Amino acid sequence: MIDFAFAREVLPLLLSALKVSVAATAGGMVVALLLGLVVALARRSGPRWLALSASGWVEFVRSTPLLIQLYFAFYVLQDALGIQLSALLTGTLVLGIHYASYVAEIYRSGIEGVAKGQWEAARALDLSPWQTYRHVILPQAIPPLLPALGNRLIAMFKETPLLSAITVVELLQQAKLIGSERFRYLEPLTLVGLLFLVLSLTAGAGVRWLERRLEARYA
Amino acid sequence: MPDSPPPPQASSSEVPSGGLSAGEPLVVLRGVEKRYGELEILRGIDLEVRAGEKIVIVGPSGSGKSTILRLLMTLEEASGGTMRVGGEALYPAEPAQVRRVRSQVGMVFQHFNLFPHLSALENVTLAPIQARAEDPAAARARGAELLAQVGLGDKLEAYPAQLSGGQKQRVAIARALALGPRVLLLDEVTSALDPELVSEVLEVLRTIARETEITMLLVTHEMGFAQEIADRVLFFDQGRILASAPPQEFFQNPSEPRVKQFLEAVLSH
Repeated sequence: MIDFAFAREVLPLLLSALKVSVAATAGGMVVALLLGLVVALARRSGPRWLALSASGWVEFVRSTPLLIQLYFAFYVLQDALGIQLSALLTGTLVLGIHYASYVAEIYRSGIEGVAKGQWEAARALDLSPWQTYRHVILPQAIPPLLPALGNRLIAMFKETPLLSAITVVELLQQAKLIGSERFRYLEPLTLVGLLFLVLSLTAGAGVRWLERRLEARYA
Repeated sequence: MPDSPPPPQASSSEVPSGGLSAGEPLVVLRGVEKRYGELEILRGIDLEVRAGEKIVIVGPSGSGKSTILRLLMTLEEASGGTMRVGGEALYPAEPAQVRRVRSQVGMVFQHFNLFPHLSALENVTLAPIQARAEDPAAARARGAELLAQVGLGDKLEAYPAQLSGGQKQRVAIARALALGPRVLLLDEVTSALDPELVSEVLEVLRTIARETEITMLLVTHEMGFAQEIADRVLFFDQGRILASAPPQEFFQNPSEPRVKQFLEAVLSH
C-alpha cells in the first residue's frame, strides 16, 4: 500500500524543504543564544530597570503561545511598524526570541554554578564586570550547559512546523502541498515524520556524547 | 598597648583627597564598622598602616579579621567609620574612588580562587592584559618571571587541577603581584593547605616581605611565621583591635588577658 516510487519522487522536494526547517532552527538558535545571554546578563548585573524589564519580557514570552507570537509578528506587528520581512526571516526571529527566554534561564543556572570566589578573585584583580563575564565566568559557566542548550535546539527544531502557519514552506508545509496536489498524504507525511525522527535522534545522540565528555572532564 | 593607633579625634580631615600627602599613612581606618543586619562584625576599627609595613592579624575565628581585608579589597562595603587607602577615600566614597583604591590593592585568598580554565601563566597575565591593557608579550614575559620567582618556572602551562595546593597558592601570589599592588592582603593563605605544603608558601611570602616594599596585611594562624615577618601584630577579638604590638612584645609579654589566653590555646597544640 505504500507507493515507494511516489515516495522516491517526492523525497527531493521534502529534502529541500528540510533545508528551510534546518535553516530556521540554526538561525533561531543563534538569535536565542545571543539574546538569551543579553537577557541573562541584564537580569543578573544590569541596572534595576533593565533587570526588571528583562524579567517581565521573559515572563511575557513564556506565557503566550509560540503560534500566536508567530501570527502576531507576521500579520500585525510588521504592518504596525511599517516593515515587511519574509515569512522565513520572521519565523526564524520569532523562534529565536521565543527560545531566548528559555536559553536565558539555562545561562542563569550556569552562571550561578560558578563559585563565588571566582567573582571575588576577578574583582580583586581589577577586572571590569564585562571582563569578568567574558574571561572568567562564561568560559566556566557555558561548557556544562552545552547538553541543556543542545536539548533546546532539538526542541526548537521540532517546533519549526509551526512556521507553516505564516506561509513558510518548511517540511510539513511542503508535505501538505504535495498531498493536496497529488491526493496522497501517506508517503509525504510519513517521510516528514521519519526525517524529524532521524535528525532528532542523531542530535540527541550528539548531546549525550557531549554530556559524557563533559562529565569526564569536570568529574 | 604602646603601639596603639592615635585616638579617632586626632585624625579626620587633614588630607586633601587624591594622592598620598607627605606623612600620611598608606592605610587609615577610623572607627570602621561592619554589620550584617543585627550582626556586628566590626565595632570600630582604628588603624594606620605605613607604606611598607608588614601587619599580621591574629585572633579567634569570627573576630572580624578576614572582614577587614574584604573591606580593604572593596569586596564589601563598610557600614560606618572612614577608610582611606593611598590617599584615596574608600569609605565613604564615590564609585570612582573605590575603583582607584582597588587598583592599588591585591589579595590572596584562603582557597586560592585560581581560574580553573586558564593555565598558571594565563591566570597571572589575565588581569595585566585585560584590566591594565598591557602588551600581551610583555605581560607574559613578566608573568613567567613572577612564576619563576615563586618557584614555578616549569609550570607555566599547567592548569590549576594539575597543581598541588601549595603550587596553586604560589600561582595565586604571583597573580596578585602581577598588578604591582601597593598593598597586598593575605587571607589565611595557608589554612587550606596540607601541613607539608605550608612551608613552601610561607617561604615565598617571607621573600616578598623581606625583599619588597609592598605593604602587607596578613591574617594567619601561623604564629611562628607571624613573629618572624611582622612589624606589628594586631589581635582582633569580637570586632575590635584588642592589642597592637611589635611581635617580640606581643608574643613574649602579652598584656591583655584575652591575648594571653588565645596564645596559650594556639601555642599549646
